[in-house]
Amino acid sequence: MKYAFYPGCVSRGGCPELYPSAVKVAEKLGIELDELKSVGCTGAGVLPQNISDPINARTFAKAEQMGLPIMTICSTCQGVMAQANYRLKEDPQYRDKINREFLADEGLEYKGTTEVKHLLWVIFEDYGIERLQALIQRPLKGLKVSPFYGCFLRRPPEAITPTKELNRRKAYLDELIAILGADMADISGKGKCCGFPILSANEENSLAMVAKHTGESKQKGADFMVTPCPLCHLNLDGNQARAEAQTGQQIDLPILHLPQFLGLALGFNPDEMNLKRHIVSTDEVESKVSMMS
Amino acid sequence: MQEFDVLVVGGGAAGLRAAIAAKHAGATVALISKVHPLRTNSAIAQGGLNAPLGKNDSPESFAQDTFVAGDDLCDRDVVRIFTQKASQDIIWLERMGVPFNRDTEGRLDRRPFGSNRQSRTCYTDDRTGHMVLQVLHEQFQREQIPSFEEWYVTSLAVDGAACLGAIALGLRAGKLDAFPARSVVLATGGFTRLYLPSTASLGTTGDGQCLAYGAGARLMDMEMIQFHPTVLAKKDGLLITEAVLGEGGVIVDQKGGSAADLKGVPRHRICLSIHRMQNGDGSVSLDLRPIGKDKLARFPQTQETVKAVGGLDILKEPVPIRPAAHRPMGGIETNATGETSIAGLFAVGECACNGLNGAGRLAGNTLTEAVVFGSRIGEAAAKQARAATQRSFPTAKTTDEEQRLAKITSEQSSNDSLRKIHGELGRLMNEKVGVIRSGTGLKEALDEIQSLKERYSKIRVKNPSRIYNYELTSYLELGSMLTLAEIVASAAQNRTESRGAHHRADFPERDDTNWKSHTVATLAGGSVQLQKKPMASS
Amino acid sequence: MEVTFKVYRKDPEKDGKPGRSNYTVEVAESATVLDALLKIRDEVDSTLAFRASCAKGYCGECMVRVNGSARLCCTAKVPDYTKKGPEISLDPLRNIPVIKDLVFDFDAFLWNKIKAVKPWLESDGSSVNGENLLPDSQMQDMRKVMSCFNCGMCDEGCTVLPVDFNFLGPAALTKAYRLAFDPRNKNSREQVKIVEKPKGIWDCVHCYEADEHCPRGIEPTKRIVALRDKAYHAGITHETVARHHKSFAASVKESGWVDEGRLAVESEGLTNVKGLMKLLPTAAKALAKGKAPIPYMHAKRPDADRIKKIFEKAEQEEK
Repeated sequence: MKYAFYPGCVSRGGCPELYPSAVKVAEKLGIELDELKSVGCTGAGVLPQNISDPINARTFAKAEQMGLPIMTICSTCQGVMAQANYRLKEDPQYRDKINREFLADEGLEYKGTTEVKHLLWVIFEDYGIERLQALIQRPLKGLKVSPFYGCFLRRPPEAITPTKELNRRKAYLDELIAILGADMADISGKGKCCGFPILSANEENSLAMVAKHTGESKQKGADFMVTPCPLCHLNLDGNQARAEAQTGQQIDLPILHLPQFLGLALGFNPDEMNLKRHIVSTDEVESKVSMMS
Repeated sequence: MQEFDVLVVGGGAAGLRAAIAAKHAGATVALISKVHPLRTNSAIAQGGLNAPLGKNDSPESFAQDTFVAGDDLCDRDVVRIFTQKASQDIIWLERMGVPFNRDTEGRLDRRPFGSNRQSRTCYTDDRTGHMVLQVLHEQFQREQIPSFEEWYVTSLAVDGAACLGAIALGLRAGKLDAFPARSVVLATGGFTRLYLPSTASLGTTGDGQCLAYGAGARLMDMEMIQFHPTVLAKKDGLLITEAVLGEGGVIVDQKGGSAADLKGVPRHRICLSIHRMQNGDGSVSLDLRPIGKDKLARFPQTQETVKAVGGLDILKEPVPIRPAAHRPMGGIETNATGETSIAGLFAVGECACNGLNGAGRLAGNTLTEAVVFGSRIGEAAAKQARAATQRSFPTAKTTDEEQRLAKITSEQSSNDSLRKIHGELGRLMNEKVGVIRSGTGLKEALDEIQSLKERYSKIRVKNPSRIYNYELTSYLELGSMLTLAEIVASAAQNRTESRGAHHRADFPERDDTNWKSHTVATLAGGSVQLQKKPMASS
Repeated sequence: MEVTFKVYRKDPEKDGKPGRSNYTVEVAESATVLDALLKIRDEVDSTLAFRASCAKGYCGECMVRVNGSARLCCTAKVPDYTKKGPEISLDPLRNIPVIKDLVFDFDAFLWNKIKAVKPWLESDGSSVNGENLLPDSQMQDMRKVMSCFNCGMCDEGCTVLPVDFNFLGPAALTKAYRLAFDPRNKNSREQVKIVEKPKGIWDCVHCYEADEHCPRGIEPTKRIVALRDKAYHAGITHETVARHHKSFAASVKESGWVDEGRLAVESEGLTNVKGLMKLLPTAAKALAKGKAPIPYMHAKRPDADRIKKIFEKAEQEEK
């Protein structure tokens, strides 16, 4: 299995623990990653569509040239790209316009055949659960984990779950927790927003969302929360202390990235997964994990 | 209590338009509505609104079609005013933001509809009422007119021969309050909930007509009730816009044979045809498939609701239909500026009868009527308010009203049920005062209405609360319907001819010698008194 | 069939505390939940309060939660909800103050928010020159957006409203879209500015819940995104958001990707000492953990100049 790897901005910026752990895990699984180096940021829902659509079309065209589907490790990248791809595929006239005006002078053309998949989907849809199960070295028994998907990995329906069958995508993280041997501490907000997008516009609401989700998770007895989105991670982990201060709660809930979660089950030790980089201390998780192997 | 120049009762299309016009004319205005304006019956109108905008069209041609649909019972002056003003009022709607469908030149597109001989019905897919109402409400909010929503008017304050305002019950706070006003405009809608099945919303119970009648105003042409031909048989009252017939839909009988050419025929004749087909063969269906998938894209509401409510797909199968009571032509008698026989009391829209519709509404005229006369009457009401002398509101009336409501509230009530009575009333009206009437049937109907009235008089409202007490409002609404039922059946019995929507099996011909006149009903000595009002000679 | 309806109750004239009443009634196989409610009010408990108007799925008045999911009860067929047993629970919509039983405060929830966006076209309506000439394609989008019948489902599913009731919400913002994008509105620039204020479009987290909830496929979230894009092109008037977007765009334009350190700093504003001080504790911790991207020490990606060209071309086209 080979993918054009799109790591996104944050996995090497504000969440530098994500990139290396993702690469290590992919290697362990036998997923070959050919990184897309000379492409731009997806726009993350900040840049207007008239700028981000051409940038993303260019990324798709490059992957098309490589003859590979794209793999992302960020829910936001996934969502923004999936929506852009949907627009470019659904409307050939629009795609032609973008090709003509933005990609032609570089000698590029997007033909509309690229698929974009998050690592989480790759595991369930392309890689296969049996294959994963065969490689699990450290079943995470006794750990209680809350899933937190990140909005862009669940909606909008036409770009993310376009068929009845693909509705399953909404449960992958829940299922993965069980597959890796852990118990789930289910939370009502697992598919809701972490608040990151409104951090500058409305900090109070943003932090309230962090407190709500992490608070509920802690209350349900979770050892940590796992998220496939580093932007969620930035808010849930990075701003957890500020959320605690705003709401007067004590939360202390470690947040893990999806590849780190996978990595621990595959046998990597916490240091190899860079858990020490997190703002909210992962010491307790680490000691529990070290007692397992 | 707050005082206003103009009080508009009813937040549908006609009421909103009147309120806006009154405000523009310089009056202080308030609106009272028993449901939020966007939940009124106007929201469910579908087909479109007429205007003689086409190159080959004219107000005269439009007037002619109106006369034919009204079977020569229309007032010529009123029709002239209407047909001459329609274009400018529809263009006002467009300029205020109604997203009408356009033709290839970017002009308002017009579809063939009902018995209009020209295509003159402007539309927004099949959601015309919803869009027009939305834009009217937008402009209403722009005027910042105080809006008393979920207030139920329980009585009009009439002293001497003048209307001084209204008394209403606010459902949210549960308090009765007086609304003094120099002009009151009733825009409360029709009364076809009197019939079951009916295409109208639950609140279309003729409260305004009843209030006016009880205060001494005259009602006119109450026997004229339009039945809509293409209503889903499976679900009471879900109508499919007649515009589908203009676009290619066909009515078929059980054997699949289509009815004699029903395109461009007045509604009452389509209803009679379906009635006969049903009596003969049973089920009658509407087949929309000949319209074609592309054109059917203009009927999204129809597709959505027929599927959600009826479980049928108009793209795949014919839909069983039967006629159902739709809109009245009759209502509170007014002149061309909306004045009733009570000074200071105006009426507009479906609750009024100004002679425009005669014995049958031309399809597509109703929404146009709401805006054309809405603006005209709003202006007139403002003018009246300026000229009216200052009078003090008879506050004793509010206390009286409190007592009246207290009297009908009691734990002790007969074992009967409001819904049962309504159900029996609706069915008997549909059967005996429906598409086809007869002397014997009407006599039976009147007798049965009397016994229902007696049963009603024994019922009390058990719920003592005044906050969102829908038992109380249902009780009052049923009272309105029983009163109007008697008037409708009496008027139908009285008119011994067939004209337009009023068809007598025992008098199947039109009788211009004796019956080129309106039927006027007044309350005298506690009962219905009927008079003939000859048509104005043109 | 016999069905037990477990209905939410609340009486403002008593203690105002939420409760539940159970009603067991006989209903026809073809009955809707509204049919059942009308029967209950008529035959069993006349104090039950609930709203309904058209009873045919058109007007949006009778929204309730049937077995937890919000929908119009006049089109909710009883047999669809009794598959697991002859019981149906009925509740008001979530996140809305309840007045009495199933009657909730739609003014606070929706009507007042629509009023707040100044929902009308600034137009004079004079018919002297006839109608505005417009292609139907433009009116098609308007018809889609205006097919909204204020059912409130988008607001009910919104992620932000449970956290901040004063957020304008998807329904009111969809109305704002209609006003900002109607080609006949002389006031569209002002219309956008109104919703750029706090609690407006910038408070939306674009989670697309609204799009998932809308029963008419109006896609409220996409409309909000379109308003945001429009604001971006016209010049964002919300100061903090303007700084944030400007910084984001600048770093992608210059380097191909986001310089988060720079973004954090510039969003607060380089002269905003108070704001920058607020960042210090988190920044310090991040620095200690080796996770703070140092602002401006940010390497250009290969082909950054290509990304820059795309920006320039797109910006030129806007003019």
